[in-house]
Amino acid sequence: MASSMSAGRGAPHIDMPLLLVVVVLSAIGVVNLYSATSAYVGDTSGHGALAGIYVTQIYWIVVGLLLAMLVAAIDYRHFERLAPILYVGGLLVLSSVFVLATDVRGSSRWIRFGTFTFQPSEFMKPLIVLMVARHIQNDAKVEERTLVDLAAPLFFTAVPVILVMLQPDLGTSLIYLMSALTMLAITRIRTGSVIWGAALSIGASLLMWNFGMKDYQKARITSFIDPLKDKQGTGWHAFQAQTAIGNGGLSGEGFMQGTQNQFRFLPDQHSDFPFAVFAEEFGFLGCVGLILLYGFLSIWAVHIASQAKDRFGAALAIGSGAVIFWHAVFNLGMSMGVLPVVGVTLPLFSYGGSSLVTMLFCLGLLMSVSMRRSG
Amino acid sequence: MATLGQRSDVGEFRRRYRWLVLFILSIFSLFVVRLFLMQVVHGDIHEAQARRNIIGETRLATTRGVIRDAQGKVLASNRPSYNVYVVPKQLDFEKTWPLVVGYMSLDQQSAKDIEAKIRELALNERRAEQQALIRVDVDRDIMATLETHRDELPGVRVLPAPVRAYPYGELGAHMLGYMREVDAEILAERPEGGYRAGDRLGAVGVERRWESYLKGQRGFRRFIMKKTRSERIEDLEDRYLGEGHLQEPAPGRDISLTVDIELEKSAEQAMRGHLAGAVVIVDVRTGRVLAALSKPSFNPNVVSGGSGKAAVQEAFNRYFSDPLKPTLDRTISAAYPPGSTYKPFTALSGLEAGLIQPDGEVDCRGGWEYGKRYFRCTGVHRGVNLHEALVQSCNSYFYELGTRIQIDQLAELGSRYGFGAGTGVGVNPEARGRMPTRAWYTRRYKGAFRGGFTLLAAIGQGATTVNVLQLALAYGALANGGTLYRPQVVRSIETSDGTVVQDFPPRVRRMVEVDQPKLDLVRAAMVDVVLDKKGTAHAGRIEGVDLAGKTGTAQVSQLAPRGSDQANVEYFNRDHAWFAGFAPAQSPEVAVIVLVEHGGGGGKNAVPVAMRIVRDWQRMKAERLNRPATPDAKKKKAGSN
Repeated sequence: MASSMSAGRGAPHIDMPLLLVVVVLSAIGVVNLYSATSAYVGDTSGHGALAGIYVTQIYWIVVGLLLAMLVAAIDYRHFERLAPILYVGGLLVLSSVFVLATDVRGSSRWIRFGTFTFQPSEFMKPLIVLMVARHIQNDAKVEERTLVDLAAPLFFTAVPVILVMLQPDLGTSLIYLMSALTMLAITRIRTGSVIWGAALSIGASLLMWNFGMKDYQKARITSFIDPLKDKQGTGWHAFQAQTAIGNGGLSGEGFMQGTQNQFRFLPDQHSDFPFAVFAEEFGFLGCVGLILLYGFLSIWAVHIASQAKDRFGAALAIGSGAVIFWHAVFNLGMSMGVLPVVGVTLPLFSYGGSSLVTMLFCLGLLMSVSMRRSG
Repeated sequence: MATLGQRSDVGEFRRRYRWLVLFILSIFSLFVVRLFLMQVVHGDIHEAQARRNIIGETRLATTRGVIRDAQGKVLASNRPSYNVYVVPKQLDFEKTWPLVVGYMSLDQQSAKDIEAKIRELALNERRAEQQALIRVDVDRDIMATLETHRDELPGVRVLPAPVRAYPYGELGAHMLGYMREVDAEILAERPEGGYRAGDRLGAVGVERRWESYLKGQRGFRRFIMKKTRSERIEDLEDRYLGEGHLQEPAPGRDISLTVDIELEKSAEQAMRGHLAGAVVIVDVRTGRVLAALSKPSFNPNVVSGGSGKAAVQEAFNRYFSDPLKPTLDRTISAAYPPGSTYKPFTALSGLEAGLIQPDGEVDCRGGWEYGKRYFRCTGVHRGVNLHEALVQSCNSYFYELGTRIQIDQLAELGSRYGFGAGTGVGVNPEARGRMPTRAWYTRRYKGAFRGGFTLLAAIGQGATTVNVLQLALAYGALANGGTLYRPQVVRSIETSDGTVVQDFPPRVRRMVEVDQPKLDLVRAAMVDVVLDKKGTAHAGRIEGVDLAGKTGTAQVSQLAPRGSDQANVEYFNRDHAWFAGFAPAQSPEVAVIVLVEHGGGGGKNAVPVAMRIVRDWQRMKAERLNRPATPDAKKKKAGSN
């Protein structure tokens, strides 16, 4: 593809495939959101506000794109110096949640500024990526790394993971963890250490299950194993989402024709389950197309990393791509019923300013690396 | 800036990129496979679920078929039962409740009881909101009053529920049957029956046997649940409901029985004064059952739920603790020793085997010595030939025959007349009775077969048992010259507008090979049982009643020796009183069997019952000849008899 664009010719070139995919995904996302909330047009039972959210989403896309353009314009290496400051600042805001937050469904994630709320845990995602990338840049060790060598990046990840778990927000902490681990995966690590790490994380998960997790979080995971046990709760949501996807069939019910969505059988169709809306309307063929777009985006990030001229750029590209990739995997997986419902957004599809701006910020970083690749 | 110019080694990462790409590809490929399974392979399952989510279904009730008698009189139909409900939370105990008590004219005690019950429910958070049943099946007047004053009675509702109604109550209840609530077993094992929890189905008798015809087909109406913008509903209906969204309910088939409820009533009246017993009347020319009465009976209205569930339970508790077993169908489901009513068949066996001659005499000295035992007779008849032996019911004559005939010969002839095997009537389980053979005795009593068994079998005692319907059909065969019919209870099946869907012609079970002169001998004797001064039925005859037959006094227990005064014997040890016969004596039309359980002597107790029934039958026959169509049977043809 367009890989032969050179930085040697002076002015950086815009990565057109990346831009195109982002614009196409955002456009489909807005259209899908319009359909997802169309059932609430004229609703008088308190959900009527949902009907207009696609307009808000467009505003946020514009904001996010402007931010991404700004980020892309800056040489990503400046972020290497800024990383510690941004990271610590992010942690402080994240901690302030416990003081300032408004409760949404039993977990406090949101901070309110006047009429406007935002979710600090979202913005923390690229900051962790920057911090871990900075560590990889400075860690020029030639031998295979041991767990001791990995202690520092794991610590940078663990602090926000724990803060977010306390909110509690399982999905976001998983994104932090998986993105950081993906970045570390491109470095050389001793096999024994990988096994030890895996064993330790299994142990930690068991401890979490027994002592750290709230009942509703456990219910989400148990209901994943037996979805119909709890006909009203999370299992029911997942079940209805799967019904919507299956109802799409090969070619779908047609735009705005999905009955599961129109009859409001889909829970959180605008945030957690936009894929179910899409799958019901456009069927298997549409879904394959969408997965191709996310697949391309993920692989393109690896491609950008491989072209990066330094370790920071490569790690940053992998990290930004990983945030997008894991969001897509968790969201699609939970919609399809192969992963527990952990409340992770679908990049550029799900409604929400914080999520959207964060995703576009990551894509801006990716663009920045791509525009300054080696020859 | 120094850091911007700095280059770091990215070579370390190179080998790992391809693994990342492979990982990404495999995860998304798995998703595609999963989607293919969900959307393409199992798409229909999910589509069905999605349709179930949006399509509601209302069940449309059907009506159960009506059961009529041979004259078109309704024996079982449907009526609404008006039940009064109260929502405890909405009921005002100060203002509304006294009004309700007044309108329903409740007595003080029950008013107090019900009030206490509602107050208790009102305390329960969940049940306070639900309708509580306070009175089942109130009168039409009360229903009308409550409905008229509906606005003054918030929280009080009167709702109709369909119940099965049997206008004749206990009369013929065993044959008709009753309704019971469908149980979990049927719901689980026969989903094709279309029953839902709370439905009722026929429990015994015709209601059960013809359930599939009577019950009808429930209908349904499918509709889009209005949870979306209303202007799209019509489009959605076209798209998702299609043609099959409405199925009208099909009412159940009506059934006409062969039974004549007037005859049944007359049998019931004739049996008054007796605790338990059975009467069966069959048409000897068709095998149609004209009356089948089992006494004591039960109330099918109550046990079908017309008076509420508590009443059903209470009634069954009472029936099952009654030693007379009111739910037992004594016409079919119980076998009794036939006693002397079996003697005509013994006589035929003897004649056929050539072991007796019509004029051969036996000297009865009040009993018969056989081996070490002495077999008693009903009296001392001195010299009797076959005719006299049947007329006077002399046991000695048949004991003597029993010493010469093989028990298997008796059994063989008996089974030709249908004894020892089910009649195939279909309603209610059949007690098949028993024609004991040598083989049976050998199995039953380890050891040598004893000749005494044959002597007892010859007088219809010992191990020989029959059910009342079997005896009726066998006497029918004696009366009609040897045609053994299958009993028939259902005459025809009709649609609710009276069109005959299926008509059941008589079915012959077997043509019994019999020598007519021999049969005539036996029949002549049965005529003299009534007419001859020495005949056992002579004392009980009614002038003008043309009936022939045979009496029987079947010994039940060794504790009630023959000839002992039955009044001194405990009820359940008393003899059964039988009369089996046919009318008119010449060219017979009906066979009449009367069994008075533990009634004592047959001549004294069973004969008057049979006489009264046949008197009524003769009267009804004459009336119907003069007036072919009764007002009750406008759409029916007159009865076949």
